Amino acid sequence: MRVKDGVLKYGFVGPALIFLIAFNIFPLFYNIYLSFTDAELSGGVTQLIGGRNYGVIFDDTRYGTALRTTGLFVVLAVATELILGFALALALQKPFWGKPAITTILLVPMMLSPAVMGLYWNFILNGHYGVVNQALSVFRLFQPQWLTDPDLKLFSILMIDIWMWTPFMMLIALAGLNAIPNHLYEAAAIDRASRWTVFRRITLPLCSPLLFLAILLRTTDALKQFDLVMAVTGPNDRATQTLSALLYQVMFRGYKIGLGSSYSIVILLIVIALATIFIRYIASIQAKQGRETA
Amino acid sequence: MNNSFLKIDNLSKNYGETPALSDISLSLHTEELLVILGPTGAGKTTLLRIIAGLEAADTGRITIDGTDITHQLPAERDIALVFQNFSLYPNKTVRQNLAFPLQAPGRNLSKTEIANRISHTADLLRITPLLDRPATHLSGGEMQRVAIGRAIVRQPQLFLLDEPLTNLDAKLREVLRVELIRLQRDLRTPMIYVTHDRVEALSMGDRIAVLSEGKILQIGTPEEIYQQPNSPIVARQLGYPPINTIDVHKQQNQWFTASNQAIMTADRNAPSNATLGIRAEDISPQGGEIPAIIEVIEDLGASTILLANWAGQSIQISISGEQQWHVGDEIYPSIDLDRVLVWEKKQPQMNTDEHR
Repeated sequence: MRVKDGVLKYGFVGPALIFLIAFNIFPLFYNIYLSFTDAELSGGVTQLIGGRNYGVIFDDTRYGTALRTTGLFVVLAVATELILGFALALALQKPFWGKPAITTILLVPMMLSPAVMGLYWNFILNGHYGVVNQALSVFRLFQPQWLTDPDLKLFSILMIDIWMWTPFMMLIALAGLNAIPNHLYEAAAIDRASRWTVFRRITLPLCSPLLFLAILLRTTDALKQFDLVMAVTGPNDRATQTLSALLYQVMFRGYKIGLGSSYSIVILLIVIALATIFIRYIASIQAKQGRETA
Repeated sequence: MNNSFLKIDNLSKNYGETPALSDISLSLHTEELLVILGPTGAGKTTLLRIIAGLEAADTGRITIDGTDITHQLPAERDIALVFQNFSLYPNKTVRQNLAFPLQAPGRNLSKTEIANRISHTADLLRITPLLDRPATHLSGGEMQRVAIGRAIVRQPQLFLLDEPLTNLDAKLREVLRVELIRLQRDLRTPMIYVTHDRVEALSMGDRIAVLSEGKILQIGTPEEIYQQPNSPIVARQLGYPPINTIDVHKQQNQWFTASNQAIMTADRNAPSNATLGIRAEDISPQGGEIPAIIEVIEDLGASTILLANWAGQSIQISISGEQQWHVGDEIYPSIDLDRVLVWEKKQPQMNTDEHR
């Protein structure tokens, strides 16, 4: 039996399309609808209440704190991961004995589940029996309360995130470094460029589109930071409550579906705005450089 | 012509077990353009990279003006290298590419001096309208001009050019070749020019060094290399169509081919085993005694090349102008005996590489 091309086309695309509509597009629009209602998980009649939820968000002091916490977290995490990852990539650029093994080991943290790692670090950093403080006690050093000191909690989560995601930055930076043709370095050597000049005027600019891509991916991901917070301190700790944790708290602990939905829309808008800025920027520097190397 | 500027003594380089260059010695005079000619894989680029300092030789010595530079870094040598693939900095404009070598630490050039040098170089190479274009938005010929510009803007004491015209189309190659000759005459800076192209070698070089399998086979003026090649390999490097080579032995003052056919008289002092070199233009299709059958006719416009089977040998004959020959015709090639090259054959097996 012959099947018409048109039918075949929809036959192939159909399943994916249905999946996309069912799990992405419908939830998004339903979420937008819910954000304008007073829906609660405990039941009762759901009513449209206009933009009142959004008003509540901006009056909520927890929202301001969570926004600050998230912002601080994103900036510190991504910046540190970028610098460390790029430094590691530079160190791994030239071949040396044991390089493949070292590279593989460095990539391990990235491959583990954040929730599981959060729990592990919970043990490692525990103030009483954690291995870190045990080690510090051997040397009779001060033992910080990593997970309970309000000034340290966020820092601890930050450390775990950096430990997990620096390898990712390293991987992408390595790809960027490897894409720079060796003859450019040779041309620079003949042109008497210093190592710093070579780094600043060849390595960095040629790597930058990929680095910005990595920053984009890490930023959008870090903005949604939830699993580590959940595993290390729980979602309702003022010192570590990120936007996602606050959303979780409102929606699944307070059962306020309508209000939670409006929180998620706000987070989504922030992510989209930042992503758009980044993508435009990457596109502009790529256009300036041209796609291929001369 | 005897004031040598660059001197290379007994230079050798191996990659693992494979010898890349063995016992290279040559010198370059001031203001001279030396062409290094050889087939792909002969070691030409390696030699150039060692002179530039991008690679280290295993043994040997390089001196410039009496100063030993063998162990100097590329930056210390004040040598400019133009790469085969141009190697422009892709994230910069043409102007920035030209400025790059001038901004190197230790040069201490003022902004005006840099600007002057760039505009002078751009004028010389006729790339002034391109100065503010990104280096990636250029045609092949423009990229090559910029690459050459980046080399001359530095005013180095020596130019190295690694097959700079190979990546360009034939017409552009002609144009740039002439420009390069003019440029080198104007700048009076010594230049080493690596190529596998016989035309570039013959037309550009003050002298040619023929490199094959990591060894220099002969150094001389284009005329010397063309008229008196010291081996069949050198002879095959120059001229088109490639020289005819025939392995022969001498009996009763006659040259006999491997299939024992007498083809011409031999000189009294000639060696008993030899390879004869006969240029295609030194054979005319008629007037000889041994018949040949035309197998292929290659019309090159101004000249025609006949590939014929003669005395059990494949030979090429170059004739000028329009000739009414057809494939399958019987001809009687006659050879200009005065111009036959004779190389003594020591080993029974000759090198039979077929570079055209």
